[in-house]
Amino acid sequence: MTTKENLPEPSNPLGIDGLEFVEYATSQPQAFGALLQKMGFAAVARHRSREVMLYRQGAMNLIVNAHEAAASTPTLSAFALRVRDAAHAHQHSLELGAWEMPTRASAMELNIPGIHGVADTLIYFVDRYRDFSIYDVDFVPLAATEARPPAIAGLHWFGVVQSILGDRTADWLDFYQNLFGFTVLPRGQYFGVLPKGTLLESPCHKFYLQLIEPPPGAEDVRWDEGLVRVGLGAADVPVAVRALQARGMVFVDRGAVQPSEKGALTQPYLGGVTFELVHSHLKP
Amino acid sequence: MNLDHFGMDTITLAGPLEAKLRAVREARFTQIMLSAQDLVGHPAGEAAAIAAVHKSGLRVTGFQVLRDFEGLDGHLHAYKVDVAKAMLEMCRALRSRILLVCSSASAHATGDFGRLVKDLQKLAMLAVPLDIRIAYEALSWGRHVNEYTQAWEIVQSAGRENLGLALDSFHILANRTPLDALEEIEPKKIFIVQLSDFLWQEVRSAEDRLETARHSRVFPGEGVHSEKVIELVRQLDEMGYRGDYSFEVFNDDYRQLPLPVVAQRARKSVKWITGRVARRSLPARRQA
Repeated sequence: MTTKENLPEPSNPLGIDGLEFVEYATSQPQAFGALLQKMGFAAVARHRSREVMLYRQGAMNLIVNAHEAAASTPTLSAFALRVRDAAHAHQHSLELGAWEMPTRASAMELNIPGIHGVADTLIYFVDRYRDFSIYDVDFVPLAATEARPPAIAGLHWFGVVQSILGDRTADWLDFYQNLFGFTVLPRGQYFGVLPKGTLLESPCHKFYLQLIEPPPGAEDVRWDEGLVRVGLGAADVPVAVRALQARGMVFVDRGAVQPSEKGALTQPYLGGVTFELVHSHLKP
Repeated sequence: MNLDHFGMDTITLAGPLEAKLRAVREARFTQIMLSAQDLVGHPAGEAAAIAAVHKSGLRVTGFQVLRDFEGLDGHLHAYKVDVAKAMLEMCRALRSRILLVCSSASAHATGDFGRLVKDLQKLAMLAVPLDIRIAYEALSWGRHVNEYTQAWEIVQSAGRENLGLALDSFHILANRTPLDALEEIEPKKIFIVQLSDFLWQEVRSAEDRLETARHSRVFPGEGVHSEKVIELVRQLDEMGYRGDYSFEVFNDDYRQLPLPVVAQRARKSVKWITGRVARRSLPARRQA
């Protein structure tokens, strides 16, 4: 056997540049849409041919996909990474051992490449986010709506929370580190009111992934792997909480997750969907 | 160390899958190693085979075997990745946590160390979302990797949580690989240990090893290297290995004997081993 020189990869090999959108699947898109409006999102466009809506708030894009959705509780089904070159990012991931996403699983007709993430979720790669947007092709803008509704209290994507099975943290670290160049934040550098699990920072320093194993003593709780919720960043959490409360959102106000300067958690809606607010230094 | 730490392998037994599962359970084993043929060769189809395994209540020790995966180029590599994905999906459906991968014996495979590492990293990556661990085994007739020490170098260099070693006493004995190097291996990176002995003193050529491995293995305690097998188990136990032991016994005679007869020989072998190796302190002994 011979040994080859192993040169390190660049720290951001795919040119990741933040989250382009998150996607939820639900068979009750109207009820979820009403909830999203309370959260400050506005419906801005409708898919040309499928039961898919685009919601937006500030720089955040959120897709609600009711096309062939089985479950009524809205479930996070995908997130899209902004990358330098989507085709390259896709190919690079496949070469490293990612699974190709199933054909025609995408909400988009435009060919957005993607791979399998945790459980049944997908991770897309999007490179058209500057001058031309992917939504221009597949979506028709809704009449009399603002295309870029402003964010409430400067809300922006902070990250995505992923549940994992026990003793699986190291496996998923391998996944996100080697495919995308995420790095682990040292314990203590946590954010929000749910400071548990392992926090990974994107190589672009623009968002986070939080991996959560089942808590001790949860042997009787059904705990599956999946994407659990999104975290929204706010420079001033109490201000954001008050603004959302005024719109009708209810936050958990007991126990360890009371709204504070650090963060807040909404009550579960529609059978289990929650949103987390996190004190954030990130720019909206 | 008790019966719960040992399992039989379907390759030792003849007959339909359900009969094998029944014989293993009736011999009071709690786990079994399965092969892809057990599923795809089932007369009622793959889903029926998987259902039969789940119904048996036996824990699946692991699923075998992905061959000649690493070191290939171009279309051969792409082809093997497809095979690997199908194997991983079957493994997942069986709720097996381990996919066994044998070092390549292919004449088309390169021995380039970096390439072997990269290919196994890719396989490990494919296995992450499915919650499967890749157990890499040095076949004694492997083209470039034929000793566990080489397999360990690759696993170490790959540095992936879900990539570890499968140790098979047959290959270690056949190639007379010294056991000293086991000390350098982290016990948690040994995912599975397969035990067997054989009836000849020496197997000199690669052809001899292959022939013996596929047809003339016996249970530990029945062959001429059994004290060496005990030495291996004792050393693994002392260094802190707490995983499973599976009897990887390919034997043409056993495949024409009644299943309970073969299963009883396996039981006897467990007794023979546990009588010679100090009991494990952990985990606590459960009722077998």
